[in-house]
Amino acid sequence: MIQGTPPQPHTPRRRGSRLRRKQLVGLLFVAPAVLLVLVFFLAPLCMAFWMSLHNWPLLGRPRFIGLANYEALMVDQRFWGAMRFTAYYTVIVTIAIFAVAFPLALFVERARPLTKLYRTAIFLPVVVGFGSASLLWSWLMNVDVGLFSPLAYRLGLTEKPVNLLATFDTTFWSIVVMVVWKTAGFNMIILLTGLQGISSEVQEAARMDGASGRQRFFRITLPLMRRTIALALILSVAGSVLAFDQFYIIADGGPQNSTVTAVYWIFSQSFVSFRLGYGAAMSMVLLAILVTISVVQLRLLRTPEGA
Amino acid sequence: MKGLKAAVLALAATCASVGGAMAQQKLTMWSRSSSEAFMPALVKAFNASHKTQIDLQIVPNTEMVQKYAISAAGGSAPDLLSLDLVYTPAFAASGQLEDLTDLVKGFPFYESLSKAHLGAGTYDGRIYGTPMSADASVMLWNKRLFKQAGLDPEKGPTNWAEIEEYAGKVNAIGGDIRGFYFSGACGGCNAFTFMPLVWASGGEILVDGGKRATLNTPQMRDAAALYRGLVAKGYVPESARTDPGANFFGGFATDRIGMSPIGAFAIGNLVKNYPKVEFGVAFLPGKTGGKASFAGGDNFVVTAGRKNLPAVREFLTFVYSLEGQTMLAKLGSLPTRSDIAAEAVKSLDERYLVATEAMKIGRTPSSPVYNDIINSSTGPWKQMLNEIFFGNDVEGSLIKAEKTMQSIIDTSGK
Repeated sequence: MIQGTPPQPHTPRRRGSRLRRKQLVGLLFVAPAVLLVLVFFLAPLCMAFWMSLHNWPLLGRPRFIGLANYEALMVDQRFWGAMRFTAYYTVIVTIAIFAVAFPLALFVERARPLTKLYRTAIFLPVVVGFGSASLLWSWLMNVDVGLFSPLAYRLGLTEKPVNLLATFDTTFWSIVVMVVWKTAGFNMIILLTGLQGISSEVQEAARMDGASGRQRFFRITLPLMRRTIALALILSVAGSVLAFDQFYIIADGGPQNSTVTAVYWIFSQSFVSFRLGYGAAMSMVLLAILVTISVVQLRLLRTPEGA
Repeated sequence: MKGLKAAVLALAATCASVGGAMAQQKLTMWSRSSSEAFMPALVKAFNASHKTQIDLQIVPNTEMVQKYAISAAGGSAPDLLSLDLVYTPAFAASGQLEDLTDLVKGFPFYESLSKAHLGAGTYDGRIYGTPMSADASVMLWNKRLFKQAGLDPEKGPTNWAEIEEYAGKVNAIGGDIRGFYFSGACGGCNAFTFMPLVWASGGEILVDGGKRATLNTPQMRDAAALYRGLVAKGYVPESARTDPGANFFGGFATDRIGMSPIGAFAIGNLVKNYPKVEFGVAFLPGKTGGKASFAGGDNFVVTAGRKNLPAVREFLTFVYSLEGQTMLAKLGSLPTRSDIAAEAVKSLDERYLVATEAMKIGRTPSSPVYNDIINSSTGPWKQMLNEIFFGNDVEGSLIKAEKTMQSIIDTSGK
């Protein structure tokens, strides 16, 4: 007795409708994410672009002025000065974070006593918000009641307490140290996942072939971590280009406006000078620069592996 | 039918008039958090004795302008606002405020209202802001340290030479005692306390109705030289250089500072919270004498288009009465009516008398871009101050700041 009928070949029509149903289900699954992107990213982005075409004061009626805001920012020395400072900071702090995070990732990758404790301790500053961390460091850096300067003075390292916020160099490097302390743990975790993704057999095979530790690092570890390094660098660069809290809270843009970042200047123009349209135009330019940097980074770091 | 129609119309008219009266009786008002010590009590006293009721909301200082702008755009701005007086021109220029000229000029004591507040509240010849609360900048000196330094503890400085001399003698006490304190990285604080030194010496910061900046003047260079000298001789604590205003009051309250230019608000605060600090109050002097003060505080403004001027008049009449002025003075604001100021503070610490005198001569620079050119942490005023107090090129800094300030004024609104 025939227990069941053999499966019938699908007709093109039925296959098409099943495909459409599958696509519909797929669309439904991504719909919440699409909705979030539309509401919280694309809509504000379009609104910001629309604002950038207006003289849009915080108080009063906006007036359409076309591309005048963009023309103005092309000759705005303060904006380009802030952009140059942001670029300088981004390069320095990205290198510094990577230089600290990679050795830390190598250090905590190996199983040894207290590895978990090290990982936790190094990651701990990441969970503190940038605002809170900046407040903490502004106290630590205070020349009278802080920690660093009075301690250095009492230990005889300086002739008198040094005001770390008095000069550009001491302010800048203090903030770089703070940012490295705050974010190296996050980069360490990203790089650690990359390191743990490299098969131990590959390393073992290289060792059996007589490759030295240095050769294994440069010929195996680094090339196989391109993707992870790309991710860490892109996140670090994007975060640094958008730096604001630490320079606002710790240095207030000082001394003498020498540490005003691009976002700080946009904030100042938008909410202190009440020029929302101009602030929006600068934000659009900053976004374009950030997207370009990220695309270039992705291309540079992905091509060899993808090839 | 005609009768029914008339009845309906009459009922509608009654409803409208009752509605109007109801609307007039309940007004919303915002005030910034720095007025928290006196505004709630003042409004409570008004509500207790009047049919018109005011619903007061305290808004954090730093959020006031943005919050109001958003509310105004959404049509939900409060009826009344106690606004930092320096913002009045910007608000008036953007068409947000009701013209109060006739109402204010109708007060019999109009001539006695704070001129500085009315000056900042006047835009294009019309009055949009009238005095609400006041603070005037003065010089405090520490009597205990003066005595310890061999100085007359009852005599504050009356010119710059005395400031330098007294600061030096107090500084000579040694330890962590310093002669002078100011917040070196705070634009707003130094507008309040440094500008009067220039004014008292005959200089100006803004002229032609706020349309021209005049920073590179002999008076400004002299005032810069005074502060540079105090810093160079070590009379000012190192932390002052980078103080964004966090220690504007706290510096003097430590009881280790000889003199500090500050606001009259400090008098009540010291008496109440730092009773051990023995201090005197003097005027901010000019180079060879004279006196000047920055009149700060709030202006009372009304959102444009609100049909509530009778209720506004009622409230202002209460605020400007002896009862209202005395209540303000007791709770931390200086009186804003000069003709009854002395009477309003007579039951208070006698040092308030100097502050009320300072208020009478107080000035406030008026400009729609005040925030941009003076208060902003990235603005030309703050940068210039830090450079001329602690940098190397005073003349270059003054020229650069004047140019930047003028450029902001010229391009404002374009």
